[in-house]
Amino acid sequence: MHELSIASGLVDKLLDFAEKNPDKKIVEVRLAVGEFSHIEEEQLRFCYTAVITETPIDGSTLTIENIDGVVLCPDCSYRGRPKYLEGILSEDPVATLQCPACGKTTHAVGGDECAIKSIRFKEVDPLIA
Amino acid sequence: MITLKAQPDEIYDIELEHSLLEANAKLAKENRALLDKHGTTAIDFMGAIGSGKTTLITKLVEKLKDKLGVAVFNGDATTSNDADAIAKQNVPVVQIATINGCHLDANLVGKGLRQIELEKLKLIFIENIGNLICPAEFPLGSKARVVVVSVTEGPWMVKKHPHMFLGSQIVIINKIDLAAAMEVSVDDLTRDVHALKPDIKVIPTSCKTGAGIDQVAEALLAI
Repeated sequence: MHELSIASGLVDKLLDFAEKNPDKKIVEVRLAVGEFSHIEEEQLRFCYTAVITETPIDGSTLTIENIDGVVLCPDCSYRGRPKYLEGILSEDPVATLQCPACGKTTHAVGGDECAIKSIRFKEVDPLIA
Repeated sequence: MITLKAQPDEIYDIELEHSLLEANAKLAKENRALLDKHGTTAIDFMGAIGSGKTTLITKLVEKLKDKLGVAVFNGDATTSNDADAIAKQNVPVVQIATINGCHLDANLVGKGLRQIELEKLKLIFIENIGNLICPAEFPLGSKARVVVVSVTEGPWMVKKHPHMFLGSQIVIINKIDLAAAMEVSVDDLTRDVHALKPDIKVIPTSCKTGAGIDQVAEALLAI
């Protein structure tokens, strides 16, 4: 479950922010998660909630923005959405690296990120918080 | 970073571009630079528990160790069984215990790289944790990634774990001596792999009969 490693890295970063900014209480963190990052949203949410328990950011919400994958074909110069696997067993579509136009191998040029986009916080009195 | 002036209890945003995969990616690049400096190639072997990674690596080490300096890194959550098996080949073996981790990461591999005599090595086999879900997100600094699937895992291994294949250059379909008994078609598995990534090299092998082992060795030396 690599989502736990990712959630831990995320929470470390947020706790670092919280420690340096005692007057700001984090209420929400917004992530951008690309289609090619293969991160399972449900698992990431579950891990996030588990990791923040009893930390200064307990109760903060995780908002995930999904970023579409983009592939580039070195053979036919196709650039755009990937081809999806047919006849798969999961409900979520699975992007492939097969070129939708010519069938050769493409490179993923977009949608492989997993990054914090922004943090929403509330100004608080550090003595009360 | 843009910070707005805030009033108590008002909610504000901070724009923050911070990649959560970057820390590992950076260490992977450092590992790669260290390997390149010594002219050493590392290959990351991924695959499920029981797919035959250890046996396959043992066969490859047997074949290659007299021709060039080889070493093996073994990732294992708790035991040293695999490392012990390969150590019988009298090549340097680094056991990396991840305890609760389900994948090797670049930090652990980097520590291992600093503990062996890289100048004597041409090829390092990195046996990742037996897991087809996690390791794809965690590059280690290897020059190529190999996925090992075996026919005993059934006909759906590729379709069930498509992500693992997208970042790999070689797929080994192992235990083909059992394909008929398992009623699994090696051709179908190959087709599934190529549907995901047409230029991936697929090599059917059997560690029992020795089929395909030479081709894998050749493919690794060509990387």
